Amino acid sequence: MRRLLTVGLALALGASAAAITPPTIKFSDARLKNGLRLIIAEDHVAPVFSIAVVYNVGSRDERPGRTGFAHLFEHMMFRGSENVGVGEHFYTIFSNGGTMNGTTNKERTLYFETMPANQLEAGVFLEADRMRSLAITKESLDNQRNAVQEERRSGLDNQPYGHTFEAIDEQAIDNPAYKHSVIGSMTDLNAASVDDVASFFRTYYAPNNAIIAVTGDVTTSRVLELARKYFEPIPSQPAPPPVDITQAPQIAERRLSLDDALARVPRLDISYRIPSNLSPDDDSIEVLALILGSGRSSRFYESIVRQKQLATGAAAFAPNSRGPRLFRISATPIPGKSLEDLEAAIYGEIERVKSGPISDWEIEKARNATRRQFVGGLQSSLNRAVQLAESALIYDNPGEVNTRYARLDKLTVADVQRVAKQYLTPATRSVVITRPKAAGGGRGGR
Amino acid sequence: MMRGHRSAIVLSTIAFSAVLAAQGPAPPQQESPTKGLVRKGKVPVSNEILRTRLPAPAEIDLPNGLHVMVLEDHRLPQVNFQAFIPGAGGYYDPPDNAGLASFTASLMREGTATQTSDQISQRLEVMAAGLAVGAGGSATEATVTGNCLSEHFPALIEMAADVMLHPSFPEEEVARFKQRTRVALTQTRANPGFLAQEMFQRVVYGDHPASRLLATIPSLEKTTRDALVQFHKTHYVPDHAALAVSGDVSMAEVRALILDKFSGWNKAGTAPAAVTDPAPIAGSKIYFVARPNSVQTNLIVGGQAIERTNPDYDALMVMNKVLGGGPTGRLFIHLREEKGYTYGVGSSVSAPMHRGEWAASTSVRTEVTEPALHDLLAEIALMRDQPVSDQELADAKRAMIASFALSLENPAQLLNYYVTRWRYHLPADYWDRYAERVGAIGKEQAQTIARKYLGADRLQIVAVGDPAKVADTLKKFGTVETYDADGKRVGGD
Repeated sequence: MRRLLTVGLALALGASAAAITPPTIKFSDARLKNGLRLIIAEDHVAPVFSIAVVYNVGSRDERPGRTGFAHLFEHMMFRGSENVGVGEHFYTIFSNGGTMNGTTNKERTLYFETMPANQLEAGVFLEADRMRSLAITKESLDNQRNAVQEERRSGLDNQPYGHTFEAIDEQAIDNPAYKHSVIGSMTDLNAASVDDVASFFRTYYAPNNAIIAVTGDVTTSRVLELARKYFEPIPSQPAPPPVDITQAPQIAERRLSLDDALARVPRLDISYRIPSNLSPDDDSIEVLALILGSGRSSRFYESIVRQKQLATGAAAFAPNSRGPRLFRISATPIPGKSLEDLEAAIYGEIERVKSGPISDWEIEKARNATRRQFVGGLQSSLNRAVQLAESALIYDNPGEVNTRYARLDKLTVADVQRVAKQYLTPATRSVVITRPKAAGGGRGGR
Repeated sequence: MMRGHRSAIVLSTIAFSAVLAAQGPAPPQQESPTKGLVRKGKVPVSNEILRTRLPAPAEIDLPNGLHVMVLEDHRLPQVNFQAFIPGAGGYYDPPDNAGLASFTASLMREGTATQTSDQISQRLEVMAAGLAVGAGGSATEATVTGNCLSEHFPALIEMAADVMLHPSFPEEEVARFKQRTRVALTQTRANPGFLAQEMFQRVVYGDHPASRLLATIPSLEKTTRDALVQFHKTHYVPDHAALAVSGDVSMAEVRALILDKFSGWNKAGTAPAAVTDPAPIAGSKIYFVARPNSVQTNLIVGGQAIERTNPDYDALMVMNKVLGGGPTGRLFIHLREEKGYTYGVGSSVSAPMHRGEWAASTSVRTEVTEPALHDLLAEIALMRDQPVSDQELADAKRAMIASFALSLENPAQLLNYYVTRWRYHLPADYWDRYAERVGAIGKEQAQTIARKYLGADRLQIVAVGDPAKVADTLKKFGTVETYDADGKRVGGD
């Protein structure tokens, strides 16, 4: 609620000032009678509110032969319901000065809107109407199947390294729920039927499988009143089947070479299996990624890009997952330099982090990055809503968002080295090498 | 959570015009432009527009000519800033060294008189602060942007001053920069959206500097350290520059810091850099960029339009909102929501100091290139040939006015409105009167604007796709000139 240091004091102390403690998000957390979880974070800093609706369904819930379905379904949520016409959802929000979208990943499907404060009832109504009474027609499904297939083409099939993106998970992960891409295959998208849509809606779009966060210029009592009016009559459904997130341990390195007709320079992708975000090692893994491959002061950039001049860039990161998860490294070699040398240099840096010293400034960099990210994420009501709802989904605790940066204060160099030794091992590694391929009949360039 | 701090924000709910007030919960049902949108009119929307007054920044002029704007916002312990250096953008590249402005900007943070590139990176990243110098290929100005936790603001300003005033352009860093930029320029040519945009700017602006999107590798190779030093020395002057700061800081603090850290930045006595309009392009053509193995065709249709200060600006924005300004636009509703040709389609206005452009763009699967281009052109023609409906016009205007409320969450975005006013010398009450101006635009005016700027004879068509599958299709739409993916002309009528 309150900052501990005034600005004047911070200025007087200069750059080495004691770190300002950021404010935290205060919220209420309740469940409606039908099981819908409702998180409300009221504030009145700007005349705006946001709603985030997280459904606990992502591409990990798709059955075999229906890859891409969770995302295709997301598109159907904009095609009308009992009281809302085709396209009227987004048309209403935008034409009243708001903004909105939907997005799907392996873990969840998220819908959100930000609107001027006087449109709270419209926002709640729009989300509730489609949760209660989605319109499911063959015409809409065919239309959005086309739009999604164009999304796949423009994002993957018509881009350099598009197939690399899918090959990384397909090679490194054995668990069928997490192995395939969110966008799915063209064949599976073509196979999706109206019956699939109806059954998916019934199973996964039930109130007891959703979390809603409302933030911004609202009063908690008014949000509760509207939620009871519009959401509470929606009946709950039996819980969806649990997702099997297990897989046998990887025991040997995996390697794959790809030719890419659209790429002009090669690329090297290395991934290691790591535990999910729910592991106690999560923070240490994040810091390890920052030290190795985030920014120009990182180990990879300093050593491999600047000193050895083997690559134009080399990044390390760990996308979120409640199940199988990968520590990813991606590097672009300088033309003429050997991919083998680049790969060896990356492994060299990984070994150096395991046994060599880690500087205090590297840990301070990680702490400040986390704090900076937290503060930046507080600015928009939408970000606050999304973070609260996603924290509730992943950690069953919306308040997790408030505590992460402080946890890093307790993290030690030994923690980072331990996770590097434990997880970044050759046996759990998968490598994908992408090389440009001359275009058929034409010039391809490299 | 955050401190309630809205004293600068005046809120009032008003119905802003008779047209909008007439739309209750059950608005008059008008025919939608396509089947992609069905209005049932049952959503309990408020008919009133939440009117907002933008909080104004404090502004001062320093003796060296630098205009300083500060928008205080103490809700969060962070600060954002942007510096604008008119005359230092790619617009002012020497004709034989395109990209020099952007190379200069990129290399300024690669070493100064007192700090190496590594030291700069490390200091910034330990603070988790951002600092970037940029100069677009055809922009008239260079920009320096920064953001940090407020406890680091003095250190970041010190760093920004060092980078802006004392860059040393070490030979070793120039060589490294060339190496990675060579690869980046090569990689970019694999992106079909880039190829389309590059060709579009070339054919819409001809020899004008606005035709440049990115530098070429030959121009990169010939760039010398001397040229970089000279460009920096000549163009990074404070005479006509501005610094806009928002966040957890006051004008007094900013002023003191600038006077201290930028004390050596002296007035150069140069006149404002000149800007001229591009010559009009006669006639309309189709420019095809052959990209084998493409599974989509990227399309851009557009032409020269207006400069930012043109009196037609507001009407053009309203017309564009109806036609292609986001998911409520006719292009999205027709080409995506009804026909399923594309994932995304829209149109936009770029109105800089000189005459800019209006353009519509999309990417569609190769097989529907013909009907998609046909429909895109038909929607443009419809804007010229028939007035928009009352409801579409009212919805577009309401969207534009009501969305101001959202910017009140973001001080950097708010400050941008004032930066725009400063950059284009707009009247002091420009944003206060925005709702009034936009509200007054009628459908006849929107149609007049469409006729004036969207005439078929001034629109160029650019397509990027698989030559084996779409080259013949395009000939059905007019005269085609064909280029390869490196921009070389390979054929045409």
